[in-house]
Amino acid sequence: MTTDNSGDVRLTGIGKTYDNGFTAVHPMDLTVPQGSFFALLGASGCGKTTTLRMIAGLEEPTSGTVHLGDQDVTHLPPYKRPVNTVFQSYALFPHLDIFENVAFGLRRRGIKSVKKQVEDMLELVQLQEQARKKPHQLSGGQQQRVAVARALINHPKVLLLDEPLGALDLKLRRQMQLELKRIQTEVGITFVHVTHDQEEAMTMADTVAVMNAGRVEQLGSPADLYENPNTTFVANFLGTSNLIEAEVDTKNGDDIILKAGGGKLVLPEARCSAPTTTGGKVLVGVRPEKISLTHADDAGSIPEGRNRITGKVADASFIGVSTQYVIDSPVCDEFAVYVQNIERDGRLVPGADVVLHWSPAHTFGLDAAQSLLAGTVGSAGTEEEAA
Amino acid sequence: MATLSEAPPPLAAAEPETKKAPRKRGKWTPYWLLLPGILWLVVFFALPMIYQGSTSIQTGSLEEGYKVTWHFVTYWDALSEYWPQFLRSVFYAAAATVLCLLLGYPLAYLIAFRAGRWRNLIMILVIAPFFTSFLIRTLAWKTILADNGPVVHVLNSLHILSVTDFLGWTAGDRVLATPLAVVCGLTYNFLPFMILPLYTSLERIDGRLHEAAGDLYAKPWTTFRKVTFPLSMPGVVSGTLLTFIPAAGDYVNAELLGSTDTRMIGNVIQTQFLRILDYPTAAALSFILMAAILAMVTIYIRRSGTEDLV
Repeated sequence: MTTDNSGDVRLTGIGKTYDNGFTAVHPMDLTVPQGSFFALLGASGCGKTTTLRMIAGLEEPTSGTVHLGDQDVTHLPPYKRPVNTVFQSYALFPHLDIFENVAFGLRRRGIKSVKKQVEDMLELVQLQEQARKKPHQLSGGQQQRVAVARALINHPKVLLLDEPLGALDLKLRRQMQLELKRIQTEVGITFVHVTHDQEEAMTMADTVAVMNAGRVEQLGSPADLYENPNTTFVANFLGTSNLIEAEVDTKNGDDIILKAGGGKLVLPEARCSAPTTTGGKVLVGVRPEKISLTHADDAGSIPEGRNRITGKVADASFIGVSTQYVIDSPVCDEFAVYVQNIERDGRLVPGADVVLHWSPAHTFGLDAAQSLLAGTVGSAGTEEEAA
Repeated sequence: MATLSEAPPPLAAAEPETKKAPRKRGKWTPYWLLLPGILWLVVFFALPMIYQGSTSIQTGSLEEGYKVTWHFVTYWDALSEYWPQFLRSVFYAAAATVLCLLLGYPLAYLIAFRAGRWRNLIMILVIAPFFTSFLIRTLAWKTILADNGPVVHVLNSLHILSVTDFLGWTAGDRVLATPLAVVCGLTYNFLPFMILPLYTSLERIDGRLHEAAGDLYAKPWTTFRKVTFPLSMPGVVSGTLLTFIPAAGDYVNAELLGSTDTRMIGNVIQTQFLRILDYPTAAALSFILMAAILAMVTIYIRRSGTEDLV
């Protein structure tokens, strides 16, 4: 990262409440460092697009300030801000050809000789051949690339992307994710990307801010968010989590010993985001792919020191790379376990008694005062995640 | 299920007939559907056109009757005698069209983008004049522009009338019976025909295109020039056509609000038909007017390049 901070986006106490009293974004602070690929992730209506539009100047914040580098742009109209937006469904000018669409920003800033720059930009997005076509003559993926080229040609300090891949089919979306990531690395501009697709956010971004109901739930690198979710919303929205209600028993060094369904579980204290007092409740979480499954007959072969839970296989679906089991256990009705198909145990069929076990290091603890189900609606795409 | 499995035998028996019947109907249906429209066109457009065409090349008199003598000279005579009225019609209609565009565009823009919940109310207000007869609306302007009326009084006290007098739009501190009055009447009467197509094409413009233009450093006025206006061109073209064409052939405004010096070609045709009873000249004038408008409209559409617009 460079020491230049002119591409920093600093939101201070920024909030938006509409005239009808609906608060889309609760006052919050957010800093996006220069040159980073930053994703605002959340379900529709969580305030992520409103936040983006406030950075672009398309929405006036009701409180707080927006800084780009050291410049306060809170009250600047969009055409005076050094940011450009790739709009959802692109908003290409239908009456102009591709060349003129891309040249639009340059011409508005009074640059006379645009030919070279436009041609270079069209080359970057591989659309040289389409320069004289109208937007409606291009495919969705091509239009998307025009939208990116039209914004990038202005060398903005920050590029804002509002669900830019939402209209594309899955395969093309994957391809464009890599393409956008490549372009970002190439031009080194700060990208702020709004998406509801957790997989997209994790693939592309260095830093992800998970938003829920107008607030940032958690901010961090994709791996950090996935391994150490702070709330049940993040735990469920990013991938799948098994959450177990447990009671704090004792503390043993850096570990907390918990009681759950008659058994004991170990949770490293460092991985628990909730306050723990003896006798208090904690939510224990573990990701489905961290769990091993052993048939009850072989329970003796499980190494000591692992967290274990007994249960019965309720359902098994073969996905190819992995098999996804649903285990009925005393602590949780639907315990999800993903097992890689390396050596399949033929005895693990529905009805079989099994022992689930995992390393305590993969356990995380959450505040028990929250809903277990928060964020589950938006957790589509977890199957691909496991694969 | 039982009824379904029982059904086939009678169906199969009836098949040859039922198969034939739809095909027969299918073949003729489009023509039957077209028939009312075609009849309408033949009776009220094609036949009158042919009749008028033949009238325009007849000679004779009312007493002796008219005969087709292929007398094309009538066209030349009509044109050489009434060309000033032709020019005046084109000029008045063009002036009214430009005024309609200048007045109608901001209003259509307001309704399309800014009116919010007032949109329907303003639309009703735009259409409201149609609830009154064309004649009565035009007569009302006689009162509005009357010599001792408020409009003339205000224009006079602001010394605007001395300017328009100088330009030849008004004469001797009056508005009534001057070109200005006729153009005002035309503008007023055809304004909704401008606003409605403009509104339709403006309303169709995606609001995000305005945001995109702003995002790409276009100031509001530049956004209008480079994005909004070009995208509203289909509305501008149809609005100007819907205003210009009827305005060029109109005679009511010139008749009620004008004087003998503001006679338009519509007035000449009306007089020839109904007062002088010189049918060949009137028919020839009608055809010349039609051809002139057709030519102008064709050039206009070519020039404005509507086929290039989305």
